[in-house]
Amino acid sequence: MKIFTILLGLCLVFVFVWERVDMVRVGYQIERLKRDKTVLERQRDELRVQFSSLSASNRIAKLATEKLGMSLPQHGQLILVQSRPSVTPPTDLASTPMRVARNYLPSRRD
Amino acid sequence: MAGSGSRVRRYVLLLVLLGGFGLVLFRLVTLQVLQAEELSVRADRQHQKTVSLEGPRGTIVDRHGKVLAMNMEVPSVFGIPATLENPAKTARQLSSVLPVKIPELEKKLQQNRSFVWLARKLDPEQGRRLDRLSLDGIGVVMEGRRFYPKGSLLSHVLGFAGMDGDGLEGVEHRYEAYLRGEKRMMILQRDAMGRTVFPKSLAERSPVPGHQLTLTIDEVVQYIAERELEDAVSRSRAKSGTIIVLDPETGAVLAMAVSPRFDPNALSALKKQDRLQNTAITDAYEPGSTMKAMIAAAAIEEGAMKPTTMVFGEHGRMSIANTVIHDHEKLGWVSFAQVIQKSSNIGAAKAGMVLGEQRLYRYLQAFGFGQRTEIDLPGEGVGLVKGPKAWGRRSVASISIGQEIGVTPIQMVSAIAALANGGVLMKPYVVSEIRDAEGHLLKRAPPQVRRRVVSPDTARSVTNILEGVVTHGTGVKAAIPGFRVAGKTGTAQQIDPKTHRYSNSRFVTSFVGYVPADRPRLAMIVIIDAPQDKKASGGSVAAPVFSSVGEQVLSYLGVSSDEPVTLAMAVPNS
Repeated sequence: MKIFTILLGLCLVFVFVWERVDMVRVGYQIERLKRDKTVLERQRDELRVQFSSLSASNRIAKLATEKLGMSLPQHGQLILVQSRPSVTPPTDLASTPMRVARNYLPSRRD
Repeated sequence: MAGSGSRVRRYVLLLVLLGGFGLVLFRLVTLQVLQAEELSVRADRQHQKTVSLEGPRGTIVDRHGKVLAMNMEVPSVFGIPATLENPAKTARQLSSVLPVKIPELEKKLQQNRSFVWLARKLDPEQGRRLDRLSLDGIGVVMEGRRFYPKGSLLSHVLGFAGMDGDGLEGVEHRYEAYLRGEKRMMILQRDAMGRTVFPKSLAERSPVPGHQLTLTIDEVVQYIAERELEDAVSRSRAKSGTIIVLDPETGAVLAMAVSPRFDPNALSALKKQDRLQNTAITDAYEPGSTMKAMIAAAAIEEGAMKPTTMVFGEHGRMSIANTVIHDHEKLGWVSFAQVIQKSSNIGAAKAGMVLGEQRLYRYLQAFGFGQRTEIDLPGEGVGLVKGPKAWGRRSVASISIGQEIGVTPIQMVSAIAALANGGVLMKPYVVSEIRDAEGHLLKRAPPQVRRRVVSPDTARSVTNILEGVVTHGTGVKAAIPGFRVAGKTGTAQQIDPKTHRYSNSRFVTSFVGYVPADRPRLAMIVIIDAPQDKKASGGSVAAPVFSSVGEQVLSYLGVSSDEPVTLAMAVPNS
């Protein structure tokens, strides 16, 4: 009985010490993960700012006109877009699915 | 004998052990009870670190969630001069990374101080390059910095935040209470190496970031407005310009452009003449003939005029109170609709006189002139509207043609939006939603009706008249192919600061209107201030800008044309 009590006491001491040590270990782990999280959050914010900056309308317009040689469409330009050409020509042309994209982005100067 | 000796030794041993335990117990009681408080404080001081943390400032996004302003942690660099062996060498190494000249760095590093800032709130890339140098006596701390990724876009509306993160202008200032992150003191436990082990209490939370604001502004509409405005200001060599685009049904501001702009990312590069104020809401101007749209609405609502009422144009010259009112065209008998379409000063003055002082003043107030629109931006002006008691003998006529009155651009566009939506004055607003950092909705700004100004019938009559301004009046250049446009031109003389009289060479040219006229999606004002052309007018300078912006924005919003589209038939290749 005595031996059992001593062993139980030792076990309790061991569990107590182990719990304290493990708490400190987990504490360090949490802190490391927090630092990692902060670094990742910084990267995320940086990428978000970069994305927003790179997708700015004035930058895209500048790239389109200066680098890619694109220009704003002229007045009344109509672009007919057919989503998917059919393999066999339809007999009834009036029922052909057709979308009309009317683009008004003129660089008109009055 | 041997037994008594052994007993003595046992007693001695017991005594020693008891003495030892007694000493330990005494020390224990001393440490844990008698000196407990003092030692606890000392241990806390050694083990704990109290840090003040502030949540990052909230993000501002446009109506489609595109980031317009956000905070980012960036490196700030400091030096510890006392630990440096060769400050000159360190300064040379640092100068390859920091935007500071070598002599200035040397001067800072040679100071007899334990801490000195070398450069604050650098770009993240500069911080990474500095890390690679790994210099002794040089440290880096992270600080929050405000970024405006779209540069100068919407600068006058967004405003900016200062070095310490306080909103100083625009939305940044007006919504400071929502944008600012929460400040919190945190107690951290640290070990013998100084490493953080754990917060003292698990219940302690990290500081809360500021809220996210969603604006009514559309980044693309804003870009179109700013680009066209800057082109127009540059082309006409004007002093400045303003465009406001509203949704007339709700009062939501889709774009608010002021030229010239500034870049809130580079405030240190601002010049003295750069204006940070949002003049679209702060500054009053004489509206000139654009005021005739409201005079027409008041006269029709009161039954004083009908669109078909015939008015004599006095052949372009009429005397009032020892002064003369001129028209740019010598008109005889014309309908009241033609008075507005041809922008006759004499006809508008007569309409004002039929209305009389009291009714005219009542309608000025009803349309919101002389009062703040209560738009959610700081520094809004009230304009200048005197009461009838302060009016002279010519005042009724003058006010009817947009003189002797000062209005702000936001007041004028709100008034025209009231005619566009059937007669209801809406409160303009720029922030539509406030959400917390987790995205939970905290506040939504619903459209707010201020008052009904005129009946839907009157609004419809005025719309018909204003359509005529664009189809065959002074505003033909505001026309947008495929759409019905209603609007009014304005060319107001400015006061010459030398003579204190109306100048014949300095004008404020403007156009205010809405489109499509029968189911308005946009109400817009275009103001070009002081174009360098004596013949400049609202019809020649501002109206084309209205057309250009309106055409592009309607296309972007997917508003279908009023005209039937003729389809070309394509035969698919077999």
